[in-house]
Amino acid sequence: MSENEFSETNHSLAAERSPLLHRLAVLSVCLVWPLIWVGGLVTTYDAGMAVPDWPGTYGYNLFLYPLSTWLYGPFDLFIEHGHRLLGAVVGFVAIAMVIAAIRREDRRPVVWLTVGILVAVISQGALGGVRVLLSDRTTAMIHGCFGPVVFALCCIAASVTSRRWWDRKLTAKRAAQGAESVKPLGRWVVALASVPVLLSYLQLVLGAQLRHVQPLTTPGTFTLIVAVHIVTAFGLWLLTPVLFVLVRRCGDLTLSRPAGWLIWFVGCQILLGTGTWIVTYGWPSVLEFLPFGEGFLVRSKGFVDSIIVTAHVAVGSLILATAAVILVQVLRQRTLATPV
Amino acid sequence: MRPTLCKTSIFSVPPGSAPVFVPVRLVPILWAGVLSAAALLCGCDAPVEHYPPNRVYSLVVSAKLDAPTELAAEDTTAALEAWFGTPIEPRWPADQMSRDAAKSLVRLENLQRAAGPVYSDQDNRHFGLFNEHCVTCHGVSGGGNGPASLLQNPYPRDFRPGVYKWKSTQRGAKPTRQDLMTILRHGAPGTAMPSFQRLSDEDLEALVDYVIYLSVRGEFERRLLTEAVVELGYEESRPDDDASLLTLANFDQDAFAMEVARDTLDRITGQWVDAPQDVIAVPEETPDDADSIARGNELFHGPIANCVGCHGKQGGGEIVTFDFDDWTKEFTEGIAVTPTDREAVRPFRKAGALRPRQIRPRKLTDGVYRGGGDPETLYRRIVAGIAGTPMAGRSVSDQPSDKELTSDQVWDIVHYVRSLDEAKP
Repeated sequence: MSENEFSETNHSLAAERSPLLHRLAVLSVCLVWPLIWVGGLVTTYDAGMAVPDWPGTYGYNLFLYPLSTWLYGPFDLFIEHGHRLLGAVVGFVAIAMVIAAIRREDRRPVVWLTVGILVAVISQGALGGVRVLLSDRTTAMIHGCFGPVVFALCCIAASVTSRRWWDRKLTAKRAAQGAESVKPLGRWVVALASVPVLLSYLQLVLGAQLRHVQPLTTPGTFTLIVAVHIVTAFGLWLLTPVLFVLVRRCGDLTLSRPAGWLIWFVGCQILLGTGTWIVTYGWPSVLEFLPFGEGFLVRSKGFVDSIIVTAHVAVGSLILATAAVILVQVLRQRTLATPV
Repeated sequence: MRPTLCKTSIFSVPPGSAPVFVPVRLVPILWAGVLSAAALLCGCDAPVEHYPPNRVYSLVVSAKLDAPTELAAEDTTAALEAWFGTPIEPRWPADQMSRDAAKSLVRLENLQRAAGPVYSDQDNRHFGLFNEHCVTCHGVSGGGNGPASLLQNPYPRDFRPGVYKWKSTQRGAKPTRQDLMTILRHGAPGTAMPSFQRLSDEDLEALVDYVIYLSVRGEFERRLLTEAVVELGYEESRPDDDASLLTLANFDQDAFAMEVARDTLDRITGQWVDAPQDVIAVPEETPDDADSIARGNELFHGPIANCVGCHGKQGGGEIVTFDFDDWTKEFTEGIAVTPTDREAVRPFRKAGALRPRQIRPRKLTDGVYRGGGDPETLYRRIVAGIAGTPMAGRSVSDQPSDKELTSDQVWDIVHYVRSLDEAKP
C-alpha cells in the first residue's frame, strides 16, 4: 500500500471519528479538574456545610440564587455554591457527551463509557447532597474519593476519542502489513501499568482518611495511616521510572509522554504532601536538620497554605487519571501490536 | 468506506488478532477490593455523644492510692455528664457554683457555638469551632490526645490538669482570658499550634470559653475522682447513698457528695476567676544596652540564675538533659515508673497516654520563643518559669543577693537572651 493510500485511509478514519465527542470529553476534563480544586477548597475551608440545604441553596433553586449574595457573601458560601454550580455544568456536559456518543460513536464501549461518566457525575452530585443533608463526614470522604474516579473516566474518554488514538490504529495496520515493526508490550507491563492506578487510588483514600479524620480516631491509627501514605508515595515514585523505561521501548510517544509526566507528578505530589503536613501540623521532626524550619508558624486558613493543601488533593487526582490513561494506552498498544 | 471496527472493545482489535488481555476484566474486581478496603478504613461517622473519660488519670489514682478506681471512674463520668453535658450539648453548671463571677466565667451560648458539628450560615457565623479547628490535635475532651497528637513535638496541650505554659500569671495560677486569646491569635511558632489570626473575635471568644470549659470540666473530673476514693470512700463497691457520686447526677442537694463536689468546683473555677489578680507585674524596662547585655551574660552563666545549666553556653542548647514534662511525669516518675520502661508504661499507653517523650531545653540562638518573645513576656518567663516543664522560676527581691535576682537583673538576662538571636539584625 502506498503512502497516499494510507493518507486517504487516515483522512477517512478521521472523518468517521467524532470530533464533537472528543471536544466534549476534553471539555469535561477541563471542567472536572477545576471542580476537584474547588471541592478541595471546600474541604480545606471546612465549608461543606456553608449551605445547609440541597439541591437548592438557602431555599433558592440552585441556578436562581442571587448573584450578589453569592459573589459578595461569605467566602465559604461562595466556594460551596460555586462548587455546586460547576458540578451542574459538568452534569450538562456529561449529558451532551452521551447524546454525542449515541449519535456519532460506533464503538459501543465508548458509548457505555459516556453513560458511565454521566451516572458517575450524577452519583457524585447525589453523594455531595447526602453529605450535606446528613452532615456526615464519612459521606464527605466518599464524595472526595469518588471525584477523582469521575476525573479519570473523563480523561479516558478524552483519550479514546482523540485523533492520536485513531492514528495509532493506522500505524498498527501499516505495521501488520510489513511497513514497520511495532514491538508489543508484555503482559507483565500491563500488570505493572495497573499498579500505579491502584496505588494512586489507595493514596487518595488514605489521604481522605487523614483529611476527614474522625475525632475519636486513635493517635496510633492516624500515625499508621500517615506511615502507609508516605511509604506508598515513595513506592509509587520508584515505580514510575520503571514504567517509563518499559513503555518507552515500544517507541510510542503517546505512551511514553504521560509515563514521563507521571514521574514528575508523583515527585511534585510528594513535595506538596510534605508542604501540606507543614502548613497543617507544623515542621516535622524528621526535617529538623533543615535550618529554616525552626520557628515555623502554622497559620490556620491562610490562603497560600490552603492552596498547597488543595493542590495536593488535585494533583492526586491528576496522578490517578494519568495512570489510568497510561494503562488504557498500554492495553491499546498491546492490542494493536498483536501480529495478524 | 467505514473502517472495520470491533464493537466489543474500545481497543479496536484488528480482525483476526488476539483478544484483549485478560487483566482488563480483573480491573473491576481490583477496584472493588480497593473500595472495600476504603469502606473498612472509613468506619462510621457516628456523632461523638459522650466525652471520653480520663482513663489514664484513673490508673494513676489507682496506682498512687493503691485502690480500685473503676467504680469511682464510672460514677464520676455519670456525674460529669449531668453537670457538664455532652460534646453535642455542653452545659455550664452555674447552679452548683457559689461565686457569681464563676457563674459567668463562660457563656453557654459560646459553648454551644464551639461544640457540635461544623457548619456556617449566610452571615458567616461558624459553629462547631472546636471540631473545626482543635479536635484533631487536642481531642474531644481536650486531653491533648487527638488523632494527630502522636506525630507532634511537643504534644498538644492536655487542658484537663489545668496547667498552661504560655501565660502572664504566676506559675501555679491559671491563665487569663487574654493569655488564651493571645496564644490563639499568635499561635506557638515551632509547634503545630496555629495562629488563628483570621478568625473573628467572636469565634475566638467562643473558643476561649470552650477551652476554659474543657479545662474546668477535666480538672473537676480529676479532682472528683480523687475525692471519690479519698474522701467519699469509693472502693470496689459504692459508699453510702449520701457519699455516692450518683447523687450528683440526681442533683440531690443535701448529699455529702454534692457538698464535696461543689467545693471542688468552686476551688477550680475560683482559680480561673482570680487569674487576673495573679498576673505578674512587670517593672519598667531598664536600658537595653551593651552593659546590660554584659551583666545579663554574667547572670546567665552564673550560679544565681544558672540558665547555662540547661540552655548551655550562650544559649546554644547543646546540654543533654533527661527530663520530661509534668504531663508525662504524672503517669511515670510521679508513681515511680521509669518513662523508658515500656512494659511499665504500657497500661497507661493502652488507656490513652501518649508515649513519654523527653523534653529539651530551648535553644535560644534562633530567636524562636514559642510563648512570645517580647521583653515583657520574657521577663515573666524568667520570673515564673514555664508551668508543667522543668523550666523553673526565679524569685525576685528588692536587694541583690546570692540567692535571688532583682528586677533589674531579670531585665539584664532578658536583654542578653534577646541578644543571642543570631537572626536579629
